[in-house]
Amino acid sequence: MDFKIRAAKQEDCKEISRMIIELAVFEKMQDQVKISTQELERDGFCSNPLFECQVAEVSEEQKSSQGYTVVGYVLYYYTYSTWMGLTVFMEDLYVMPEYRGKGIGKGLMSKVAQVGKEKQCTRLQLAVLDWNTRSLDFYIMKGARDMTASEGWHALRFDGEALDKLAAEAPKD
Amino acid sequence: MDFSIRAANLEDCKDIARMIMELAEYEKVSEHVKVTQKDLEQDGFSKNPFFHGIVAEVPEAQRTKDGHVKIGYALYFLSYSSWKGRCVYMEDLYVMPEFRGKGIGKALMSKVAQLGMAAGCTQLNFTVLDWNKASLDFYAAQGCSDVTAALGYHVMRCEGAELERLAQP
Repeated sequence: MDFKIRAAKQEDCKEISRMIIELAVFEKMQDQVKISTQELERDGFCSNPLFECQVAEVSEEQKSSQGYTVVGYVLYYYTYSTWMGLTVFMEDLYVMPEYRGKGIGKGLMSKVAQVGKEKQCTRLQLAVLDWNTRSLDFYIMKGARDMTASEGWHALRFDGEALDKLAAEAPKD
Repeated sequence: MDFSIRAANLEDCKDIARMIMELAEYEKVSEHVKVTQKDLEQDGFSKNPFFHGIVAEVPEAQRTKDGHVKIGYALYFLSYSSWKGRCVYMEDLYVMPEFRGKGIGKALMSKVAQLGMAAGCTQLNFTVLDWNKASLDFYAAQGCSDVTAALGYHVMRCEGAELERLAQP
């Protein structure tokens, strides 16, 4: 199958929003998606974007049953390790089910690694749900190590009321 | 104990580099630290910084036996959730051992939360090693959730030769 990987443009945000929801449905967390297309446009396509995105596109002849030619995406941003410097974090990697097994996911992930390498990133990191063995296997085959399993890294989070409360207790300037 | 929390500046990089090493020693990974004071100056204080820092300072009268008044720091940056939008990621939180238990760590973390929320963030994320019970208890007491324990999130990493191989088109 012919496909092209290219940097996302602002006009792609509608398709990216659609696929974000498809990925959330797959992860059984669709009620967690609160972001809007407008936020993606604002945060990804301003002068100092908070994320970057690459999309996978097929030709018209290969469009999906609902007429989509943008069939996959990868959303990533840069993080900083005080040990190793700049790293790239792959927030989402998604290919529509009927286009899997054709190298598109690998193509998108490699693109992130390449872009990161050009910026001198020494690491590419991501998070996967532990029941998602198919994805875990995919990433391990691509050379990723499970830092939670091997070194005990836990992801912790403040949100909602806990975040409000923590912020309210900050010392005054 | 009197202390103040303020935004880090270029001159703080020497103390931040010192405390990064102290934190790495505590986490038993000091041989992995490649970032230098110069890297911090370039990466944190240029036109488009990769991170932001805040430091905790005590008055001269309370300086350490080595003469330090900068005795804690937090390092953070904006990140993104494709579900929730803007987030803040706290990369490091550290208070020198003799200054712990006085509310300094909590004050640094609260400040990161406040600055993050002011920038439109709805999550503060960070990682902790599972053997670091003192830190896990501290964070749990502040009301955070363990997304790894609760939802099964595993952090994965690609680096070195594997990253080189992945980057081949």
